[in-house]
Formats: sequence, C-alpha cells, structure tokens
Amino acid sequence: MRLTPEQEALAAAIEDQWLAAAVDTTPADRPAAEAGVREAYRRAGLTAPERIFWLGSPRAGAIAAALLSAGASPSPDQAPTGPAPDTLASGVDGPIVQQVRDALLSQGWRPGPGMGASVRRQVRTEPWAAARERASGVLGPEGWAQLGAAAGRRSWALVMDRVAGRIRLRLGEDLAAEFPAARPRLLDAIYGQHDGVWLSTFEAADRLHPGSGLLDGLTGLTAVARHCGWWWAGSRFAILTERPSLLARDNVGRLHRGEGPAIGYPDGYALWAWRGMPIPTDLAAELPHLTADRIGAESNAELRRVMLEHFGYERYLQEAGARALHQDETGTLWHLPLTGDEPLVMVEVVNATPEPDGTSRVYWLRVPPGTRTARAGVAWTFGLTADEYHPLLQT
Amino acid sequence: MYRQGDVLIVPVAEGDVPSCSAVPRDRQGRMVLARGEATGHAHVIGGPGLQLLADVDDPSSMFVDVPSYGRVTHEEHGPISLPAGHYRVVRQREYIPGSFRPVAD
Repeated sequence: MRLTPEQEALAAAIEDQWLAAAVDTTPADRPAAEAGVREAYRRAGLTAPERIFWLGSPRAGAIAAALLSAGASPSPDQAPTGPAPDTLASGVDGPIVQQVRDALLSQGWRPGPGMGASVRRQVRTEPWAAARERASGVLGPEGWAQLGAAAGRRSWALVMDRVAGRIRLRLGEDLAAEFPAARPRLLDAIYGQHDGVWLSTFEAADRLHPGSGLLDGLTGLTAVARHCGWWWAGSRFAILTERPSLLARDNVGRLHRGEGPAIGYPDGYALWAWRGMPIPTDLAAELPHLTADRIGAESNAELRRVMLEHFGYERYLQEAGARALHQDETGTLWHLPLTGDEPLVMVEVVNATPEPDGTSRVYWLRVPPGTRTARAGVAWTFGLTADEYHPLLQT
Repeated sequence: MYRQGDVLIVPVAEGDVPSCSAVPRDRQGRMVLARGEATGHAHVIGGPGLQLLADVDDPSSMFVDVPSYGRVTHEEHGPISLPAGHYRVVRQREYIPGSFRPVAD
C-alpha cells in the first residue's frame, strides 16, 4: 500500500491536532476526562474506579499515588512503597506532601484501603499492543509503517523526547528529594495529553479504514488524552491531573524560556529550561542579573553555557574582549579564551535576505574551537569543509 | 549548492542517494524540508514530478529528486530555483562542547 497525497494530508492533519492537544495549556475538561477513564476501564474488562481524585500537576499526582498506595498497607512494616496512614497524619512531611494530602482529604479521601494495584497494563499497554496488531493486519506492515511516518513520528520526537521525557526526568529528581516513596509511582504514570503522539497513528488508520474497528480498544484512552494531563489507574481509585498552564518552547520544539519557567502547573510546580537544558532553580533566579565577570567565574562548563546563551554571545564577546580572528565574504570569526575550558569561537553571519524594514538580521553560531577562518566556520555548520562550501545562491 | 537560511541543498550523484522512501506531505499537501515549531514557518519544496525522500535507515537524512526543475520557498527568505538533478538536504548545526545541535530559523 502506498498512501495517496490526500491520505498523507489527512494523516498529517490528525497528527497536528494531537500535537496541539499535547501542548494544550487550558484547564482539564474534568467530566469528559472522567468519562474517558471509565470507558478505558470498561474496554479493559474492569469495574470503573470507585473514586477519581484530581491533582494540580504530575508531581502532585505521583505523590498522591504513593499516599493512596500506602493506604492499602495495614502497617509501616508491610509498606515498602511508602509510609502507612497513621504516619501520614503525623505531619513530618514537607509542605508539598502536606498540600497533596490536604487536596485528597478535601476530595473525600479517608485513610483506609488504598487505590489498589496499578492497572496501567490492562488499560494502556495491552490495548495498545492489540490495536497495533490489528492495524498492521489491516494495512499490512508496510502500510502501517508508512502511516506511522505520516502521523506520529514527528510528534513523538517533539512531545515524548523534548517535553514528556524532560518532565519525567526532572520529576524523578524532584521526587527523590522531596518524597522518595513517590518516585516508583512514575513507572505507573499514563501520559494523558502526551499519549496523543501514538494515538494519532491509530486515529489516522481508523479514518483511512473506517469500519475495521482500528480505534475500538483505545476510545477511552483517546478521550482522556484529549482532556487532561498525566494520570494513574488503580484497581479501585484513579488519579487524574491538570495540564500545564504554561508551556514555552523554542523554534525547534525544545523547552525554552529565560524570564520564568518553561513549564508551569496550576499548583505551582514548575520547570526551568533553556533551549532544552534544565536550569537549576538557584541559577534561574540569577539569570536576570548576570554580568560578564560572573559568567567568567563560573567553573561548571554546562551552567556557564546556559548563562552565556541567556546573556547573549554577542554581548559577552564584546564585554569580555573577544578578538576578531578572521573576516571574509561569509562573515566574521570571533575568538575568546575561557579559563579552564576550550575557547569560545563563533561565526557572525549576516542573513542574505533583508528584513522587511531593510535591515539584515545578524546571527551568531558557535563552531569548533580549532576553526581558523569564517568560511571554514560556516562550512562546518553544514557539515562541509571550507573548500567544499560554495553556495551558488543564498537567500 | 544552494542555501536558504539554515538549509543547504547540495547536489549529489544519483549513485550516492541511499535506499529511500518518500517523506509524507504535511496537511496542506506540501513537501517540507524543515519547519519551525514556534513560527510555523517552513522551507517548502515543489516542482513537476519532484520527490522528497528520506534514507530508510535514517529518516532525518533527506534527499530530493528533481526531474525537470524545482523551487524552494520560505516565509522569511527569497525563493530558490533548482535545476534538474539529485540533492542532499543539510540542516545547519551549531557546536556545543562534546556534541552539536540543529539550528532553526
């Protein structure tokens, strides 16, 4: 099977919708998400959860999952994943755990039997595997692979690698520091809005082959993914969470913001990042007041890179006294030694197409420290040598 | 070779094009060489019988088959006309100590 251009356009439009859902920052549609959860349980042959709790971030969700799992154990000795309810009430935990406990109590939770074992496998893993087998049978392995390229591959890289993966990594570190019992609960998380990246391939398959039931086992998961953030499925309770209220990405889709967090949740959980690189909170506070001296004195090369990017390479090269090594028709090559690190070498390039106001945009690209000419620097950015790089036309 | 902002289009011999499959079109039916996530701007290629291809072993490595002529457009850059031939698409990158990363305009 070879997709026609019209089928590819349809698949791409479906992927675009799921990509938009994955970066949606509006409040969850709670009734619709809860209906999706019940549907997912029903499709998996399970009884609907007795209770559904709502939390304001995936951090709060993981902590809630740990607190509610702990409730299932009668005593601390038998509770390897978390403290038992009587110790939960003792108030020795930090304010974040206390905040989650209060949220659960205000929603009617009483310490006692917990949320039950995770049913993630039944509601997510197994329906996904079954749907894949069915779709591959209907479309053929080649058609299925083509559809995956047309709807799914691009957003997987953008959402799972650059957003969800970053959140997960950071959550693991934060939970280890704040409430270690909650860390293993990340293994049970279901990604809600971020699951759209693979659901899009199945929705595209279903649209191309209506009547084959290609989306049948996934309708519950699909509804949850459209309407809320990460969630946890237990045999007795489910925990649902809000989407972020703020999400800032750069032009290649990496988490990126200088004047505040790149991701923020309604309960205050936030993650700072600069061009995809996580920024420690204490550095984040320092960024608006950076000086060239402060950057020069930073001994951690990775943090210094974040500082440099935020401060601006051009400004730093000027303030720290960079030397122009070479100039030709491709641009100017700048050089600045950095104490205890390889030198900062950058090409300054002028855009060939002027801006609407008649000026030309100048941009700076860092190149390997051994670069000797501007041409060699620009050529390197395209994976070529100075001799190979000869554009006939540039716009 | 031809350069439009952060994309370089380099002629290659037909024999240097690896085993490829067609790159799916976007929802407007366009063939996209590179796209900006924040701006939504895209380097778009078109032309009679023109094919945008990706290495089956590395879908991020793209090639263009131009049987008669082609045209590359972008919201912020002037258009580029391509004569018939085979081309490799190179995305601009930036040096980071220990690795490198793509650039996008």
